[in-house]
Amino acid sequence: MATRTIVEGVSVARRKRLDETYIGQWLMTTDHKQIGIMYLITGFFFFMAGGVEALLIRTQLAVPDGKVLSPEIYNQIFTMHGVTMIFLFVMPTLTGFGNYVVPLMIGARDMAFPRLNAFGYWVILFGGLFINSSFLFGAAPNGGWFNYAPLNELTANCGANAIMCTPGMNEDFWALGILLLGISSITASLNFVVTILKLRAPGMTLNRMPLFTWMTLVTAFLLLFAIPSLTAATGLIVLDRHLGTHFYQAASGGDPLLWQHLFWSFGHPEVYILILPVFGMISDILPTFARKPIFGYTFVAWSGVAIGFLSFTVWAHHMFAVGLPPIAQAFFATSTTLIAIPTAVKVFNWCMTITFGKLSLKVPMLFALGFIAMFLIGGLDGVAVAVVPFDYQVTDTYFVVSHLHYVLFGGSVFGIFAGFYYWFPKMSGKLLNERLGQLQFWLMLIGVNVTFFPMHILGLLCMPRRIYTYPNYLGWNFINLLQTMGAYILGIAIMVFFINLIVSLRSGQPAGGDPWNAFTLEWDTSSPPPHYNFLTVPTVRSRRPFYDKKNPDIADWKTATH
Amino acid sequence: MQTELRKIVSEEQDQSQPGQQAAGQESSSPGAQEQVLHPHMSYWPFALAIALVVIFMGIISNNLVVLAIGAVLAAAAVIGWGLEHH
Repeated sequence: MATRTIVEGVSVARRKRLDETYIGQWLMTTDHKQIGIMYLITGFFFFMAGGVEALLIRTQLAVPDGKVLSPEIYNQIFTMHGVTMIFLFVMPTLTGFGNYVVPLMIGARDMAFPRLNAFGYWVILFGGLFINSSFLFGAAPNGGWFNYAPLNELTANCGANAIMCTPGMNEDFWALGILLLGISSITASLNFVVTILKLRAPGMTLNRMPLFTWMTLVTAFLLLFAIPSLTAATGLIVLDRHLGTHFYQAASGGDPLLWQHLFWSFGHPEVYILILPVFGMISDILPTFARKPIFGYTFVAWSGVAIGFLSFTVWAHHMFAVGLPPIAQAFFATSTTLIAIPTAVKVFNWCMTITFGKLSLKVPMLFALGFIAMFLIGGLDGVAVAVVPFDYQVTDTYFVVSHLHYVLFGGSVFGIFAGFYYWFPKMSGKLLNERLGQLQFWLMLIGVNVTFFPMHILGLLCMPRRIYTYPNYLGWNFINLLQTMGAYILGIAIMVFFINLIVSLRSGQPAGGDPWNAFTLEWDTSSPPPHYNFLTVPTVRSRRPFYDKKNPDIADWKTATH
Repeated sequence: MQTELRKIVSEEQDQSQPGQQAAGQESSSPGAQEQVLHPHMSYWPFALAIALVVIFMGIISNNLVVLAIGAVLAAAAVIGWGLEHH
């Protein structure tokens, strides 16, 4: 109960207002830090859901002629695994980091539109619950995370509406759920763009922004330009299914390939949406633990911008096998190879940053180094499948599954854990346990390689992706069993992480304001920060403002030209 | 809320360490320090998000009543959001 003062010295009990209750403070918050934490909790909740789905897939494929799941359920599980991991884990988690860290990094007191920020969060939470509620109806999406036409609407003898051909709600859950998640992404992106462009502390020019902020800005623009394509594509599906249009139905003059063009013109920028913020995290974590400024700041920042532009020119490399004209194949093969250049610039700069540095191999640094190695394997796979004749051989095989998992698990997920171990002390005021963190890292490194590296071989042995089971005479048995063992190692690693989280929240060491002796502004306030972040908005004179403050005699702005 | 914040602000000023301000940094005016430095709470974003999901549930179930309820809720949430004191 709260109290209300009637006259001086006389108070009466009254019922608490909603915003005074614990639950009300979460429901009504507009504080970027609290919303960031809510994004992270939601992301990791769905990470567990997607992880369970992954283990079900691998259990089904562990041995030939597996009978763990029915074919129908298997289709739903692998579809929801992709949807969950991409749209409900990696995207909200990266948005959560951005929400929490970016305003602190740039010396702002909140995001530019705090209510819109809260709205974006609630939409992604309810959107995720909406899609997953499909399991309750036995009608989860089952056409793959990319939901190709005509799988999303059969075309022959359908009558007026596509929904008559695929009468379940599976595809509707996918389309409407994705529309909801798109709304959330647009609101978050608008907020990041305005916040970063308009609310930076005095002196923080674009050329002095932390690289995580830079990459968040590029990612926000990518989302703003990529999401409309997905929204249009899914909107057309809803029209086809419910209002009798025929955009994707060849028999009625539509074109199923229109779906692929629209989807992948979102889908490939999406890959960079999932990895660019991680590039930014790594670019801020490596210098902190190497005790050096980032090598080639300008190249690292602008290579991110170059990747952003080029990501809109590569979408049809997902479609080499559909029969594109040779000139289109040549164009998309070239643009895909070109995008490796700015990516390689980043890897080179990261390597140069740690070269001759005083490396401190704390858990965030371990994950950052693991990220570089794993992402490099995934990136090189990407260059391989950009070569059209090779892509013809391995398209829709496990080789591609290996490539995307090295990029998204070895890349994005390792980066997310690097960021989590790095910024958790700022969010909670406590350090995560170092030993449990190291155990998690090594289990994950082993698990990733045992699970995903053999997929290269399986792909070259022509095992198609998305198949429900396989006969025992094709030579795939041992490799599949090995991959399943690797997947369970990954499951154990994630359990270690959650144990670490609980133990550290209960009895972790106090972190203090600046546990890593870091360089950027988010560490120049208490852990966790007060509501208003900074009592006095800081003034920035270099790319390492907090380093300058701690070392006034050798501040960057005195000794360098930036 | 304001009184509470003023108290926090003054406590933090007492605890601030020498050299906490960056070199060349200007100190803010006392008036600026006393203003509320973070946004008000609001339940309209939550309400609008729920309304959107109700609309989508109406679409997926082909149920016009649910869809209409969602539309009314959304309109109410948008109006409430717009009229809220910011």
